Amino acid sequence: MSYAFFPGCDVPRKSTPELYVSAVGLCQKLGIELEELEYAPCTGSGMIQSKDQALGDTFNASTLAMAELTEKPLMTICSTCQGVISQANARFKEEPDYLGEINKTLQEGGLEYKGTTEVKHLLWVLTEDFGLDRLRSMVVRPLKDLRIAPFYGCYLLRPSAILGYAENPARASALEDLIGALGGTAVDFRGKKLCCGYPIVSDNERNANAMIANHTLEAKEKGADVMVTPCPLCHMNLDGAQPAAADQKGTRIGLPVLHLSQMVGLAVGMDASGLGFERHTVSTKDVVARV
Amino acid sequence: MPAHDVLVIGAGLAGMRAALEAARAGVDVAMLSKVQPLRSHSAAAQGGINAALGEDDSWETHAFDTAKGSDYLGDQDAIEILCKEAPADIIELERMGTVFSRREDGRIAQRPFGGAGFPRTCYVADITGQAILHVVWEQLIGADVRSYEEWFALSLIVDDGVCRGAVALNMRTGDVMPIQAKTTVMATGGLGRVYHPTTNGFICTGDGTSLAYRIGVPLMDMEFVQFHPTSLKESGVLITEGARGEGAYLLNSLGERFMSKYAPEKIELASRDVVSRAEQTEIDEGRGVDGCVLLDLRHLGAARIKERLPQIRELALDLANTDVIEEPLQVRPGMHYQMGGIKTDIEGATTIRGLYAAGECACVSVHGANRLGGNSLLETVVFGRRAGAAASQYAREASNVTVPETVVQRDLDQIQELFSRSDQGENAAAIRRELGETMRSNVGIFRTGEQLQSACDTIGELKKRYARLKVRHTGEVFNTELLSAIELGFSLDLAEAMAASALAREESRGAHTRRDFPERDDANWLKHTVAYWTPDGPQLEYAPVNIIRWQPERRVY
Amino acid sequence: MRINLKVSRYDPQSDGDAHYQTYSLDLPHDATVLDALIQAHGYIDGSLALRYSCRSAVCGSCAMRIDGQARLGCKTKVVDLVHQEGQEVLVEPIGNMPTIKDLVADMESFWGKVRQVQPWLHPAGPEPEREYLVPHATMLDLAGAMNCIMCGACVSDCTVLEVDPDFVAPAALAKAYRFVGDPRDQADGDRLRALTEYGGVWDCTRCNMCVEVCQKGVAPMDRILALRRKAIEDGFQDHIAARHVIEFEEQQRKASWMGV
Repeated sequence: MSYAFFPGCDVPRKSTPELYVSAVGLCQKLGIELEELEYAPCTGSGMIQSKDQALGDTFNASTLAMAELTEKPLMTICSTCQGVISQANARFKEEPDYLGEINKTLQEGGLEYKGTTEVKHLLWVLTEDFGLDRLRSMVVRPLKDLRIAPFYGCYLLRPSAILGYAENPARASALEDLIGALGGTAVDFRGKKLCCGYPIVSDNERNANAMIANHTLEAKEKGADVMVTPCPLCHMNLDGAQPAAADQKGTRIGLPVLHLSQMVGLAVGMDASGLGFERHTVSTKDVVARV
Repeated sequence: MPAHDVLVIGAGLAGMRAALEAARAGVDVAMLSKVQPLRSHSAAAQGGINAALGEDDSWETHAFDTAKGSDYLGDQDAIEILCKEAPADIIELERMGTVFSRREDGRIAQRPFGGAGFPRTCYVADITGQAILHVVWEQLIGADVRSYEEWFALSLIVDDGVCRGAVALNMRTGDVMPIQAKTTVMATGGLGRVYHPTTNGFICTGDGTSLAYRIGVPLMDMEFVQFHPTSLKESGVLITEGARGEGAYLLNSLGERFMSKYAPEKIELASRDVVSRAEQTEIDEGRGVDGCVLLDLRHLGAARIKERLPQIRELALDLANTDVIEEPLQVRPGMHYQMGGIKTDIEGATTIRGLYAAGECACVSVHGANRLGGNSLLETVVFGRRAGAAASQYAREASNVTVPETVVQRDLDQIQELFSRSDQGENAAAIRRELGETMRSNVGIFRTGEQLQSACDTIGELKKRYARLKVRHTGEVFNTELLSAIELGFSLDLAEAMAASALAREESRGAHTRRDFPERDDANWLKHTVAYWTPDGPQLEYAPVNIIRWQPERRVY
Repeated sequence: MRINLKVSRYDPQSDGDAHYQTYSLDLPHDATVLDALIQAHGYIDGSLALRYSCRSAVCGSCAMRIDGQARLGCKTKVVDLVHQEGQEVLVEPIGNMPTIKDLVADMESFWGKVRQVQPWLHPAGPEPEREYLVPHATMLDLAGAMNCIMCGACVSDCTVLEVDPDFVAPAALAKAYRFVGDPRDQADGDRLRALTEYGGVWDCTRCNMCVEVCQKGVAPMDRILALRRKAIEDGFQDHIAARHVIEFEEQQRKASWMGV
């Protein structure tokens, strides 16, 4: 199993470096070969697109083109990267003339995107390509005492039409299925497919905090010991901003939040000290101890 | 007690256009509607609105097409007004912001439609009604016009022979109160739910037509009901004539474009009554497919379908599991429009002072025995405007009369009656279904005296059962069971007038086709049927047709 | 096919809270959720209150939450929701709004917000002799926004509205786009100024929920982003979010090895 790897922007390497470290480490452990696209730019994450759609599309076309050169599918480790790149990919398929225009800029840099790259989040690489059965067989620390609340991240879910949900309906429960395969119990709560508020956290802190508080408290109410998310931006909010959200709400929250790769890493026997838990805001000590 | 200069009942296109005109005239106008205005069935009109905008077109040609389309039963003074004023009204709609599809030169594009001698149907992809309805609503927001939304009109208030407003029920609270007005404009649309199936929405129960009928206003030409040639088999949902306007074919089971037999010149774009009859004949004679004919759009190509006919593609995918890009679509004639209605003059005035009517619920008559596609949206705008203007003028001159609070008593008593009867096992939905099927079978595309008499008898029976109907839910908030029961009463009265008028007319003209009287008989029947409500059923009289420019000719397409 | 239709009931005249009532129904294969409700209402329980009319997804009456997601009842096939006989289908009124009764939501705040964006054409200058001359492509683009039937599904499930009732919300913003994008409307400046204030385009959290639930292809969030781009282009940058976007875009542009 071999993939072109888009690690994302500064976020997984600087803001949430535990993600990069745990994801790369996990893939190594599982025998998933990664060819990192060193020069792939930020996807724009919707921010660039709020000013200049074409610039964002150009960046993503270059990433897709670089992946295309490797002749491997492109793996992402961030819901937002997955979503934004998929949206661009869909746009290019729908409007080949537009892609032609974008390619003119790419050609100046010696690249051309022909439209063939498949983009897959690590979550789907695990549940579809690697396979849940195989993963199950590699579990050495079953997560049997943990009740885990899955938080998908908007960009991994919507618009469903361009994220392959029709062709792969199992994606709708991929996180829960994965949790189950690792021996854990998935907690069902309404917020699991809603928004964490990251895109507005610096512009409307009040609303973002309200969303964080709502989802973490609901998960706790439904019995969750820990939350897991495949998106570092969600993580930054749900974990990093959790104290501020708790403050605003006027109550304690204290729900640890794991990255997808950390959760899987723990279950398949990776050394906890190599998974970057010390970087978290909300302490994960208890959770890690229980595993 | 609320009081206004002008009360418009019904907030679809005709109603809102009337209200807008009244607002511009500076009078105190209010709209009343049992649904939020954008839920009105005008939104379901798809294909387009007619106007002689082109340099090579003329309002006279449009008017002739309309008169011929009406099988010469249309009043030609009204038709002239419709067609002459159309261009200005369309331009006005565009200036209000309607997103009409355009030609290369940026001018409003027009497509061919049935029975038209020239492509004069302006359109917004295939959501024309929705687009125009929303634009007129936007204008009313800008003009800050008062509206009683989700209020149900129970009866019209008549004092000393003059209409003084309506008694209405606030659907949110159950309160019944009089809403006084110096003039009332009835614009409650069609009555499709008298039939099953129908292209019409569930709200099209003919309320206003029945309300006017019950206070002695005559209903004209009730026997003339349009069956739209292309409605979906199961749901009855409309598939626009615009599909044929873009070039779609109608095929029978042998793959033939059978319309060339029935309308050698216009083929699929013959007048709707001609096409529906042809389809029914093909089906009856064994050349149908599952009781339908086929609408074939494949040769139009994916790009054109996606641009010009996106909504009907969605509808066919959702409701008929058919992608019209890949396969032909099963369609059949479905009850669609009422040519007849509340008799009005060319200003929208009825025989009762203070009461006006416009739109599908009215009969001026512009459509006569059969309506051309694209003329109904046009009628709502032209005559909605005229009725609004005339009603405003009347209101300015009318004196203030206060009606007593007790006007609500009869409606309150009726509601009590519905609640307090003993339960004799009657069910409104079942009665409505039987009514609909009787109308389809016996007052359908092809009629015989025997069938029509049978329909009259059945309707009589259904009315007796209706008189035993009990409404079980007695809550005050949003009591849909009560309102459905009242609507059923409206529908039964109208069905009675329709069947009786049809039985009496012993000829075939336009959409009224008698197997036992298959020819058009101008000598005896070039006249409008006028039905008056009596406790013993409709009393029929006749009124002359205004023939001005075009003498009736043999009608072929 | 047999289903159990579990419907949220609420009667303001009773003392109780909302509760669920289940109707067991036998439906034809191609039935929609609206068909099921009409059957329940017509033949089993006349006290059920709901709004419906066209059943062809053009009037917007029948928006409701079906299995937790806002949809049009008439455009949701039961067979797409149900995988075995007797399965439950959950039907509730649309969210982010109070309930009048059962499935009838109080849409006052919805209409209020639509009115707030001044949703009528503000033409400028003298009227042309006939129609305004506008490119067909522009009209097509606006017809896409005009596809909105004001059903309320997007507002029902908007994740920002859930925490902040002052957000103008997707439907009103999509409606505003229809005017900003219309060459015949000259109030762009005023509109964009208003739209970039609190509760406007910059308060959308870009979650795509409105795009997902809209069954008429309006894609409200795409329109919101288009408004953002126009606002920045036209100089309406006096908002912290706009400044962040401008900064970020410049940063990425400079950091890029491509000649962008």
